[in-house]
Amino acid sequence: MSAVLDDHGHDHGHDDHHHGYSGIMRWITTTNHKDIGTLYLWFSFTMFMVGGVMALVIRAELFTPGLQIVNPDFFNQMTTMHGLIMVFGAIMPAFVGFANWLIPMQIGAPDMAFARMNNWSFWLLPFAGALLIISFFMPGGAPGVGWTMYAPLTVQMGIGMDFTIFAIHILGMSSIMGSINIVTTVLNMRAPGMTLMKMPLFCWTWLITAYLLIASMPVLAGAVTMTLTDRHFGTSFFNAAGGGDPVLYQHIFWFFGHPEVYIIILPAFGVISQIIPAFSRKPLFGYASMVYATASIAILSFIVWAHHMYTVGMPVTGQLFFMYATTLIAVPTAAKMFNWLATMWRGSLTFETPMLFALGFLFLFAIGGFSGLVLALAAVDIQLQDTYYVVAHFHYVMVAGALFTAFAGIYFWLPKWTGRMYNETLGKVHFWLSMIFFNMIFFVQHFLGLAGMPRRIPDYPLQFETWNKISSIGAFGFGLSQLLFLYIVVKAITSGEKAADKQWEGADSLEWTHLPSPAPYHSFETPPVVK
Amino acid sequence: MAQDVPPKASFLAVAKAVFWSFFGVRRKADYDRDSASIGPVQVIVAGIIGAVLFILTLLMVVRLVTS
Ligand code: HEM
Ligand SMILES: [Cu+2]
Repeated sequence: MSAVLDDHGHDHGHDDHHHGYSGIMRWITTTNHKDIGTLYLWFSFTMFMVGGVMALVIRAELFTPGLQIVNPDFFNQMTTMHGLIMVFGAIMPAFVGFANWLIPMQIGAPDMAFARMNNWSFWLLPFAGALLIISFFMPGGAPGVGWTMYAPLTVQMGIGMDFTIFAIHILGMSSIMGSINIVTTVLNMRAPGMTLMKMPLFCWTWLITAYLLIASMPVLAGAVTMTLTDRHFGTSFFNAAGGGDPVLYQHIFWFFGHPEVYIIILPAFGVISQIIPAFSRKPLFGYASMVYATASIAILSFIVWAHHMYTVGMPVTGQLFFMYATTLIAVPTAAKMFNWLATMWRGSLTFETPMLFALGFLFLFAIGGFSGLVLALAAVDIQLQDTYYVVAHFHYVMVAGALFTAFAGIYFWLPKWTGRMYNETLGKVHFWLSMIFFNMIFFVQHFLGLAGMPRRIPDYPLQFETWNKISSIGAFGFGLSQLLFLYIVVKAITSGEKAADKQWEGADSLEWTHLPSPAPYHSFETPPVVK
Repeated sequence: MAQDVPPKASFLAVAKAVFWSFFGVRRKADYDRDSASIGPVQVIVAGIIGAVLFILTLLMVVRLVTS
């Protein structure tokens, strides 16, 4: 905090000037929320590429039946690391990047509350990412246990497992510090007149997400620490041979895991709730119900975890409880969908790239929500658990839900962040390529799952060949399309057209109405007055 | 958070607001009244009570259909 204030106690009209270090040291020592937001976003994109290459290894192996490219053990390492890297390295940091960039500007604050802790939250990430990647080079390689890290396999893995456990610890610390920062910033640093209920919905969804993170990350840390002590210190939490219970691990993991999926999707809901009104040129329909729905989704997310565990054996009363609770979550979620649709109703819509991705989100997230409801039915799930149907479900919610939203947000705010516009035509091409290839990869996986193809296998019977081929071709198309995205962003940053201060006619939050494009390095040192 | 504090909402009003929040919908006029009169602590306490009641109701329903 002081580092920010000391340098800029006075107004001297060259805001983009950085004091202190330059070059790489600027990034290492920065306490500026915009710098840190940028770091988060680039880190996320890098991890997205790394995790993406792993996905392509998986899809290349699955292109035809039989074992061609990798051995089964390495295949398992790929599925595990793909999942961990995408969830913890790509999606979560992307939205923390958005939070850093946007929350201070949207509430009229000069920076995040704890600027130095903010630096630390970010700089933990590259080390955690490195631990995950280094684990491949350990004896026995990376753990091949699946991203859910179920016992008892985790108790048997080589030293790569320990690297992964420590990576999870570090990632969790980073998330918790980031969350404390967000909560404090939102609750204490709003400009005069910016009441909670006037905040852009993005700030609301992040406030609630931050509480979810604070409540659920320690649970994950506990689960992996118990795994660690089982491995090295003679405890038997999960080791049946010593009187432990592997199912206990699943309960603890999913008590974290289900809130985690909402940690991923709620900030995305926030981004969508900024973009759809902007391109409909209408205020968000039912702002208050959106806040309420977000809060209730957050609370309910803690009482549905065992819908991931219908097949491990539980009393029928347990199955029914979790089935009812899970299906009821669809109610507030549907309220949100309804509000977005109602926002567009009779609006004067235009379809720039951010809006296209937002609509892609609406359409595909609905499919993912419905397949979730199908899986929530215990009787059905017992057939579908651990098949490709589940893989299809969670990619509809995480890729078409969260990742498409991150794309939408980047196209939406890039002009504000960099002062330059991306190429609209190329943006649209990127959208359509992503849309087509995404469905090519994952829609057919519903068929595979219904036909009984298990997930996490390197080989499969002949009857699954056709859909797998289509899925694999789609995967390579999707991967290549993301290089186009990189090109579009780099091109915009280096030589895009100058963006207007209020690039989008219908955007109405403070960063658009009160700040120039690009947003100055230090903004709102004197808080704006919000009426 | 220097919000001015108008008269505190009754328990029933808070309960109602929380009920509707589980549903995810709220009429604008009602919401305006809520946001003026309900404090954050009230919402949190009522939210937790609401969640417990929700769980108990589900358990009762489960009992009912399995007995
Ligand atoms: C309407 C809302 C949703 C419902 C009813 C729902 C339901 C379910 C159910 C029942 C499963 C377990 C399937 C099985 O293993 O047999 C599942 C798996 C999963 N869901 Fe959802 N879900 C919903 C939304 C989401 C969202 C928003 C996300 C993330 C952004 C998500 C991410 C996942 C993931 C990652 C898995 C698989 C975990 C694994 O086994 O590796 N879901 N979902
Ligand atoms: Cu779940």
